[in-house]
Amino acid sequence: MTITIDPARRSRRAMNPKSFPGVGFIAVFSLVFLYLPMAITVIYAFNAGDQALIWEGFSLQWFVYVMTNHAIIDSAVVSLKLATAATVISVLIAVGFVLSVEELRRRGSAIATALLTAPLLVPEVVMAVATLAFIRIIGLQPGFTALLLAHATFCIPFAMMPIRSRLQGLGTEVFEAGADLGATSLPMLRRITLPLLVPGIVSGALLSFVISMDDYIISAFLSSAGSTPLPVYLFGLIRRGANPAINVVALLLLALAIAVTTVTYLAPTRKKRTT
Amino acid sequence: MSKPEAATPRHRRRPGRVPWFASVPALIIAALFTIGPLLVVIAMSFMTRPAQGGGVVYEFTTDAYRTFLFTKNFTGDLVFNTAYVEVFWRSIVQATITTVISFVFAFPLALWIATRSAKLQNFLVLVVTIPFWTNLLVRTYAWILVLNKDGIINQTSLALGLGPQELLYTDLASQLGLIYTFLPFMVLPLYSSLSGFDFRLAEAAYDLGARKMTVLRRVILPMAKPGIISGLLLVFMPALGAYVQPVLLGGGKVLLMGNLIASQFGDSRNWPFGAALSVISLLMLALALIGIQLWARRSGTKVSLSL
Repeated sequence: MTITIDPARRSRRAMNPKSFPGVGFIAVFSLVFLYLPMAITVIYAFNAGDQALIWEGFSLQWFVYVMTNHAIIDSAVVSLKLATAATVISVLIAVGFVLSVEELRRRGSAIATALLTAPLLVPEVVMAVATLAFIRIIGLQPGFTALLLAHATFCIPFAMMPIRSRLQGLGTEVFEAGADLGATSLPMLRRITLPLLVPGIVSGALLSFVISMDDYIISAFLSSAGSTPLPVYLFGLIRRGANPAINVVALLLLALAIAVTTVTYLAPTRKKRTT
Repeated sequence: MSKPEAATPRHRRRPGRVPWFASVPALIIAALFTIGPLLVVIAMSFMTRPAQGGGVVYEFTTDAYRTFLFTKNFTGDLVFNTAYVEVFWRSIVQATITTVISFVFAFPLALWIATRSAKLQNFLVLVVTIPFWTNLLVRTYAWILVLNKDGIINQTSLALGLGPQELLYTDLASQLGLIYTFLPFMVLPLYSSLSGFDFRLAEAAYDLGARKMTVLRRVILPMAKPGIISGLLLVFMPALGAYVQPVLLGGGKVLLMGNLIASQFGDSRNWPFGAALSVISLLMLALALIGIQLWARRSGTKVSLSL
């Protein structure tokens, strides 16, 4: 059998507008680069041995170790409480802000938005030392309250972004229709605005939660003996060297990221399909 | 001072919105816990260091800023000292390398994703977003495992007969960690500006005789400009103040802006100097931001910081 190459076809393939030389290769390489280190981390969480990287067979002993380790559990509980409280506060504040910011004068609303997104641009280390100095001046000590105030502050922009883009995506017609049908402020808010904002609120809340669970630097400067969030404790463990227990904690945090990303990701699509 | 009641039609509230005072809590929090701390740091950078211990003495001095550039020699004269300037320079170099290499990998990846079928695109974006939201310590720890003396790179190197490599706790490790952690921050904005691209435009360019490289450079790259600008903001700025990667992967041997600042705030350290370093780094970031904004304006793109 002879293979004939149709020159016209070949040149068209070479000129496929969507293919570029080397792009596929670098793309696949980048994906491997992103996932290989995490895959290694996950695999070695099931290691039976007590060396981080010398495989001695499959075992769940490190999961048992982590689940019964008081220091890890306690710091995880602090982190979960902190993230939940910071999420509730930042979402409430963000919803209020998003729904009312356009009522401020034009310039006021631009300045207000810039002010709220500023923590994203200030280096975390600077924000951490600055907040430490600041809370001392207002008479607070490092501890849960200080942590909560700082976390709520840097969670607000993350809570705000999806809620604002959801509101912008809704347009004005639905609210105008509501007003024409006689809905006054409060019923409008309760029956129309808030229910329609739910997908944005869910994404905003999940992002805030993950951002709060993720933070190390600011937490390190503001934590006290009784309230050490998980990342601060984990950082101390990692500095002492690799250890399968860290792999287990890493796996659990990775699972959290996968769950949160998948939920935020699926929520709006499902909505679109049903309506 | 209160805003006049919504009486004139111009000030009538849009339906579905709530009164202006609902944004007050957000503004109070931002003013208290963003502006407040920054003002304190600026003030602190002009204060005096106590004779011993951390904290500050309320006495005006510019000593902290002088420490950045000068040091006292035996006779008590000020001599120019480049040690701290070098730390800042090293941070700029590492952040620049991080940004450039992230772009080199992120651009093909974003373009590749944008040219897949709609269903696959959704899935691939999810795949890139997961590392984005994974705990920074987890992603950094993963590299400790890779670069460890028992890690895969050393195993491969031994198997090839190249002998063990000293990788962990080096400049290179810290640099790799930065690229790894910031790569998704570059891919996502690039993808979002490429995803709407109509590839029939590329086809048109080919029909007019353009080559692959020309199409990339003159058709696709300009389309990606807003993404490039967001990517720059999301990678360069945080990489400049990085703390976790140089400490955990550089083993504390790599001194960058972030860990230099943090180290000044331990007990019996120099708080005013740490504050001055913070102010200098904020000024540098402001300059970088202005530079990015000017570049964006010149090319007619709006700077936006959205994920």
